Amino acid sequence: MASALRSSILRHIRVPISGTLNLNGSRLWTFRSMSSHGDDHLDKQEVVDRVLDVVKSFPKVDPSKVTPDVHFQKDLGLDSLDTVEIVMAIEEEFKLEIPDKEADKIDSCPLAIEYIYNHPMSS
Amino acid sequence: MASTMKYVRVPPNSASLAEARQRVFEFFKTACRSIPSIMEIYTLDDVTSPSQLRSVISSEIRKNAHITNPKVIDMLLFKGTEELCNIVEHSKQRHHILGQYVLNREDRTHDIGNKDQGASDFLKSFYKSNY
Repeated sequence: MASALRSSILRHIRVPISGTLNLNGSRLWTFRSMSSHGDDHLDKQEVVDRVLDVVKSFPKVDPSKVTPDVHFQKDLGLDSLDTVEIVMAIEEEFKLEIPDKEADKIDSCPLAIEYIYNHPMSS
Repeated sequence: MASTMKYVRVPPNSASLAEARQRVFEFFKTACRSIPSIMEIYTLDDVTSPSQLRSVISSEIRKNAHITNPKVIDMLLFKGTEELCNIVEHSKQRHHILGQYVLNREDRTHDIGNKDQGASDFLKSFYKSNY
């Protein structure tokens, strides 16, 4: 959803290339279009590793049980408050703010990984 | 954060247990998101970590997990919000935070169990600290 939004926005935005630079008499074009985030997107494997680290470091979780497709409440025996706590920890790890509607849906590792991987601001 | 929380208004009562439950989660999220500023205000970096504070908040909430009356939950939420506002607005001092939320929290609730087996119920609740 976020990636679809992003591409539809990017399709409608044209940034005129105005910054030209004179260097040793030659004209160099400087391309810095929307460069703060987006292209330096997180690697899928990195997202998986970091999410698993967050879940494993949760005090009530047995680290040996954590796999990339584990469900927080069914497999790890956590309750709803623990789930929210993990989501908050993930927010902190990836420097995001997950809106309530999305955060309520995240109740397992695959969903968390999917959401963060598709989030343009995750870092 | 402090300026936005100052003007937070009191929401109407929760109509159902589900709504009150949802509000608890919202409150928990608000509290978690204010942890970084709390750590900064009270310079807690060298004594605790954000994840520990998160666990403390959730254990405080879990103390009241047995309550099913939405009005009581609303009242507890109000008190929690008040406490959070006080903390975020720096109305407290560092040792308040340390004593209440950082230092040996396990001892405080469990140390009665081992030592005073023979003590009466009155004495046990007398010894239990007010935190």
